[in-house]
Amino acid sequence: MMEMFNNYEVVKHFPVIAVMGLFLFAFLIEIFGAKCKIIRNTLTLIATGGAFALILGLIPMVFGEGNVISYWMGDWKPVAGYAIGIGYEVDALSLFFGLLVSGTFFLSSIYSIKYMSRDHHLGHYYTLFLMLSGSVLGLVLTGDIFNMFVMIEIMTFASVALTAFRNKKGIALEAGFKYLILGSIGSSLVLAGIAVLYMQCHTLNMAQISSIIGGAGLNPSLVFAFALMFAGFGVKSYIVPFHTPAADAYMAAPSSISMVFSGMVNKAGVYALIRLTYTIFNAMDIPAVNILLVTLGAITMFIGVTMALAQHDFKRLLAFHSISQIGYVITAIGLGTALGLSSGLFHAMNHTMFKGLLFLCAGAVFYATGTTDLDKLGGLSKRMPKTTICFLIGAFSISGLPPFNGFASKWMIYQSVYAKGVESGNFAYIFATIVALVVSVMTLASFIKVTQAVFFGQLPDKLKDTKEVPFAMRLPMWIMSGLCILSGVFYRFVDVNVLYPVRNAAFGVKNYISSMLGGEAAAAASNVSSEEFFTLWDPKLWLILFAIVLLAVCIVVLLGDKTLGAVRKNKASEESDGKYATFFGGEKSTHSHVAGSDLFWGFKKDFKGYFKFMQGMHSGSVNDYALYVVVGTALIVATMFIFVL
Amino acid sequence: MSETVVTMLTNAFSVLVFPGLLFVMIVGLLLAGIDRKVLARMQKRKGPPVLQPFYDFFKLMGKETIIPDAANRRVFLAAPIIGFVSLVVMVVLIPIGGYTPFGITFNADLIVMLYLLTIPAVALIIGGSSSGSPYAGIGISREMVTMMAYELPLVIVLLTVALKVGGGSFCFSLGEISAWQETNGALITHWELIPAAIAFLFVIPAEVGTQPFDVAEAETEICEGPLVEYTGAPLAMFKLNTAIKMFVMTALFTVLFFGNAVATEYLALNALIVVAISAGITVLSMTLAHAVCARLKIEHLFKFYWTVVTALAAISLVLVWCL
Repeated sequence: MMEMFNNYEVVKHFPVIAVMGLFLFAFLIEIFGAKCKIIRNTLTLIATGGAFALILGLIPMVFGEGNVISYWMGDWKPVAGYAIGIGYEVDALSLFFGLLVSGTFFLSSIYSIKYMSRDHHLGHYYTLFLMLSGSVLGLVLTGDIFNMFVMIEIMTFASVALTAFRNKKGIALEAGFKYLILGSIGSSLVLAGIAVLYMQCHTLNMAQISSIIGGAGLNPSLVFAFALMFAGFGVKSYIVPFHTPAADAYMAAPSSISMVFSGMVNKAGVYALIRLTYTIFNAMDIPAVNILLVTLGAITMFIGVTMALAQHDFKRLLAFHSISQIGYVITAIGLGTALGLSSGLFHAMNHTMFKGLLFLCAGAVFYATGTTDLDKLGGLSKRMPKTTICFLIGAFSISGLPPFNGFASKWMIYQSVYAKGVESGNFAYIFATIVALVVSVMTLASFIKVTQAVFFGQLPDKLKDTKEVPFAMRLPMWIMSGLCILSGVFYRFVDVNVLYPVRNAAFGVKNYISSMLGGEAAAAASNVSSEEFFTLWDPKLWLILFAIVLLAVCIVVLLGDKTLGAVRKNKASEESDGKYATFFGGEKSTHSHVAGSDLFWGFKKDFKGYFKFMQGMHSGSVNDYALYVVVGTALIVATMFIFVL
Repeated sequence: MSETVVTMLTNAFSVLVFPGLLFVMIVGLLLAGIDRKVLARMQKRKGPPVLQPFYDFFKLMGKETIIPDAANRRVFLAAPIIGFVSLVVMVVLIPIGGYTPFGITFNADLIVMLYLLTIPAVALIIGGSSSGSPYAGIGISREMVTMMAYELPLVIVLLTVALKVGGGSFCFSLGEISAWQETNGALITHWELIPAAIAFLFVIPAEVGTQPFDVAEAETEICEGPLVEYTGAPLAMFKLNTAIKMFVMTALFTVLFFGNAVATEYLALNALIVVAISAGITVLSMTLAHAVCARLKIEHLFKFYWTVVTALAAISLVLVWCL
């Protein structure tokens, strides 16, 4: 059995089968599963689980032996040196994102079964769901840039339909509309970029384009194509100023879908950006590209987090945090150093875990209470203790508290950005480090707000009968929580076994080209070597120490219930015991001027002007948003022409 | 085999006795006592005995623990312990007089330090939040805003020091920063770092939460904010955490700005020197401000840190970068 995974001739079919299988099952569900719940659920689980298993099966081949899997659809091999067929090319970078995609969709499908059970037209839901998963998986596995565009189109339209799935609410339709308009603009930019690229290179195969550009160098048309595609992928990964549809879409979509949006769909944009800058154009040696990415990243994380501080809807707040965290990823991959890239990828992976977890928690709250409005919730920790624990793990992870995974990746990001600043002597990087560190505290602040407004504080009378969500919904949450802790504690393991091959794949352009087209085509490309391991820290002892102490804490907490069993409870509600009423005399949070969403008025007051301005900018009008995209694209094109040529 | 046992015992000693648990508990409470005594002297009062915080601590440990109805029990009880643990971990990582019990293995421990520093504050916030009291609600809001306020200057100060010591290379290690000062003189004697040192002196009282920056716990208006529902042993732990934080912050100042320049060959003497400098800084940054100023409003506090203190830190950063 294990032999199979080491046989290249067998393994090379896996990626295609996974993508095709998802699309095939999407239609099977529409045909057979529209009426029957059991068939529908079974088909969905088989499709997503099967895809996940197939992608897992690639690990020994790609991570283990360092092979690149190349596959020509219909055996249309290159003719006279030109690739004419669609090629799938799976190197470690593709596989890394493929794993995240298929894993996220698998967990989301488990969660969906219970979470969506109260909705109607579920046949359509699962069809769209599988279309979305197939397209995102295809996007990260393909080696053909036009195929990538097709996948982006399918992804965008499946996303639009899923955003507006609960179409009884006006807000869902509005969000779907915004997504549609801005997503189309983004796709058009990508298409325009591909057209220019095709005009110049006469091929659509990414390896071949990379080989041609590596040989001939950049000309104005190629720079234009680069800028257009950069902006287009920017729209797909929601970096500021292209971030506007994300907030509405993540809020309006069902939580199982918000989880994949935030976990994977925007990561697909990040993947495309990495492919564009690292592989196709090999542009990471150009300082202007570095600075552009780092600047966009820093702006994105700051605006994302400050907007999140001003929100009063659980899911909308999480949406702005998604934007902010993508800023970290963009900043890190924009450095173009080996440590930068691995920290960016690590953070992307961690973001998939903790943001997925947080959206699932939001979904659980919605499932249990019927609302995600922070002003209407409160005190749920007594009613939903397990969800509370999961939420706290997710919140601590995203705020980067040790020993959770967000800390490990942010730690690497700070180091890499700062190191780049010291090496290149550019103050912008030092400034970006400061922004990144401060944004991290603001992230924490914003999650403290959610914790206080949703899980702690006082329980409103309306929510007295709230019940914990069923096990089928908690299972993906526990899995995600476990992953958050494991990848945080064993980050050394992740770095050596996962990030190292991925980083080499991203820098190893020559290898990418030669495994698709043979050695001659690769000769022109320059290979950036990143052979050395980065041993910037030795966390072993620190880990042991922390583990001991954490163990002690756990024991104390667990024993706490028994050893402190004799403690007396404060019966504030009973008038008979006046002694404790002095301290907790039934004050209601309504009497407090800091309730729910407005927890940080002290902070907001000092930034009145800024918040007013940002509120004006996020007007909700799609015309304005489209204008930002156009202006942003124009700025990127201008930057490229001024500084790269 | 015996080597492993010896290593384990040494590690256990470092965590539990010196410079870990026992040492910080005693020094922290001692600093708190000195703070109270000197403050009383400044205000022409006689003041409590220096050992008063010890008496308070043991008294509270023996008192009844009450958990309010609205509270989440586990979180409520675990919060003070989590804060305590992260403080102990921090102390073990601070090279006291160049002594690092685990060797200089943490090349980027400056960032680790920054994050470990946030954990006690988060523990206080989560604990207060889980108690369900509206007073605590106001308290945690202010605590969080205070945290955002001092974090910006703190980050800039740490980066400035790293930049100065690293020169053209990468240096995020407290051990290296400490060792660098042995040959190049204490950082406090480098004039371009003096604004950063002053900024750090301002950060200390906000981090510890002493007057005039104790808006989060303002006893007279919101009954100690996040601590309002705490009684008995958990309250004692929180009081202990505050005391330890005094030592951690002042010891961090000592490492960053004096380093090995004041170190001798003898570990015990080094520890004494660090404690003495810490006591001096406690009086300078916390007691003096406490005696002179009244409590600030939260929005004024925030503005103060993001303008005056940040400007001080930024001046140092720019000077170090340019020179």
